[in-house]
Amino acid sequence: MPATTTVERSGRGVVVRLRGDIVVSTSRKTWACIRPLLRKRDCDPVVLDFSSAGRVDSSALAMVSLLRRQLSRDGRTLELVELADQHEAVLALVPAEMSAPATAEPRRGTLERIGESVYAMGASARELGRLVRETVRQTARVIARRERLPAGALGEHVAKMGMDAIAIVGLLGFLLGMTMSFQGAVQLQRVGAGPFVADMIGVSMVREIAPLMTAVILTGRTGAAIAAELGTMRVRSEIDALATMGISPVRYLIVPRIAAITFVGPALSLICMFIGCIGGMLVASFALDLAPITFWQRMAERLTISDFAHGLSKSFVFAWIIGFAGSHLGLRASADASSVGAATTRTVVVGVFCIILVDAIFATITTLLRYG
Amino acid sequence: MMRDHDNDILVECRGVSVGYDEPILENVDLSVERGEIVALLGGSGCGKSTLLRSLTGLLPPLHGEIRLLGRSLYDAATDARAKLLCRTGTAFQQDALFGAMTVAENVALPLHELTRTPKAVIDEMVRMRLALVGLSGFEDVSPTTLSGGQRKRAALARASILDPDVLFCDEPSAGLDPVVAATIDETLKSFRKVLGITIIIVTHELESLRAIADRAVMLGRGSVLAEGTIDELEQSRDEDVFNFFHRVPELSLEEQAQRSQS
Repeated sequence: MPATTTVERSGRGVVVRLRGDIVVSTSRKTWACIRPLLRKRDCDPVVLDFSSAGRVDSSALAMVSLLRRQLSRDGRTLELVELADQHEAVLALVPAEMSAPATAEPRRGTLERIGESVYAMGASARELGRLVRETVRQTARVIARRERLPAGALGEHVAKMGMDAIAIVGLLGFLLGMTMSFQGAVQLQRVGAGPFVADMIGVSMVREIAPLMTAVILTGRTGAAIAAELGTMRVRSEIDALATMGISPVRYLIVPRIAAITFVGPALSLICMFIGCIGGMLVASFALDLAPITFWQRMAERLTISDFAHGLSKSFVFAWIIGFAGSHLGLRASADASSVGAATTRTVVVGVFCIILVDAIFATITTLLRYG
Repeated sequence: MMRDHDNDILVECRGVSVGYDEPILENVDLSVERGEIVALLGGSGCGKSTLLRSLTGLLPPLHGEIRLLGRSLYDAATDARAKLLCRTGTAFQQDALFGAMTVAENVALPLHELTRTPKAVIDEMVRMRLALVGLSGFEDVSPTTLSGGQRKRAALARASILDPDVLFCDEPSAGLDPVVAATIDETLKSFRKVLGITIIIVTHELESLRAIADRAVMLGRGSVLAEGTIDELEQSRDEDVFNFFHRVPELSLEEQAQRSQS
């Protein structure tokens, strides 16, 4: 039965004849009839006539309650007439005490928001500092044999972070080496310096490309996984469970991950360097007719141990950035599911940003040291 | 919402077996009439919650038919099943509130998503329902900051906000203090009395059972052990039913030791 509620004036007041079921599915129409009465301040009293109303439910109760509150604020009265038993029962379901409708909070200004985010960043940085300190302390205790890592954890993490990533790191390194070789060969041949492509590939792979590419892949694969794992454990109170058992969550969860990534980062980086150079060498031999042995000799003469030291030390730093970003943001996840997603996203964004920032700092420092 | 089948059977199981790969419960026959409060009883792990999952459309039964509001639940197309489920409400054992929303947004979700109710009316309905379950003033907080009992009550408010025909509650008063548990029992009773909601409740709490249930179905040993009013079940001569109602423990440690010696 469709609700065809009508509104009639009677003297100063107004009579609303409710027809049909006054339920959730008809509430839009009913409310459209009743709502205008709130603004007509001269209508008093407002009478709701239930004589031909059908079933009513909680939405009818809510509308009556809204109407009554608004009208009484204006000093007007609401009368309900011709209520059937079912109407009475539902409308009696008014809770004893109800909170007042929320008043909108004043919007915060830009300065206020900036200030808040600065405070939040400060707190986050302090927390990160505590995490790093605790990780170092627990690592020292493990090394001093006063505590043990969970059995098999280190191997498992190395396998998951490292072994499973070799294929993708190798493939990307190979493709990058090839691309650089193609691009470099064309440009260098113009000035008759074709064979220098070996120097170029060797130096840029070892010092720059391999550590950076490996770090980016590790951030996406491993950093995100660490954040998601720890975040989910936080949501499910598993980290609290460890703490109440007297097991340090940092030793149990963070130290094995940081230890594994410390090893895996530079190792993958070395693999990437090697395969990248092979990719470059293959292209050079096809495109420039540069014999592979010549390419390899040029590269070996040009590269020094300090180039490797530079690349690998960067890899260590990148690995720690990824490990600590994932751990810190994962542990900071709050108790709801969306915070795990946020932690994962932030790990990737912050990780890649910090890696490129640190790379720039490295480049600046080494250049200044050499020529300054 | 149409109430087209008054005084008929709203929830019906015919020869139902439920379980994941292996059946946990077999040959369950159950019928619940409009306005009844029926309790599913049984020890831990007897399959109460699994049966509830099947009744709420989450787990197709291995055999048999489940009918909800006169229609077969699992034979219906996905959309039709969703429509059918809109007319039921489920309060889960773990509250299953959305942590990224406030309590009020959680409760308002079915209204916003499934109906075209005006916003002012929704707000009022939500505040009234929250006040009814004793959560007045908690509208704008995150469910993650609530205590266990408060979350259960918020979940009950969300499950009942559409005035469903059938309300499924998995242990609504487990782990709550007696006053709050009694409040929840009273709320459920008033839902039935005023709004005519049929309620199927899974519980262990004998007291709340006596307070609200018209009828109980005792599950155990892979099937229905007994069915009837609480008084009838209490008089049952079945050993498992007797033990449940008279709180007879399984073998104590000493008895186990004695048995292993002899």
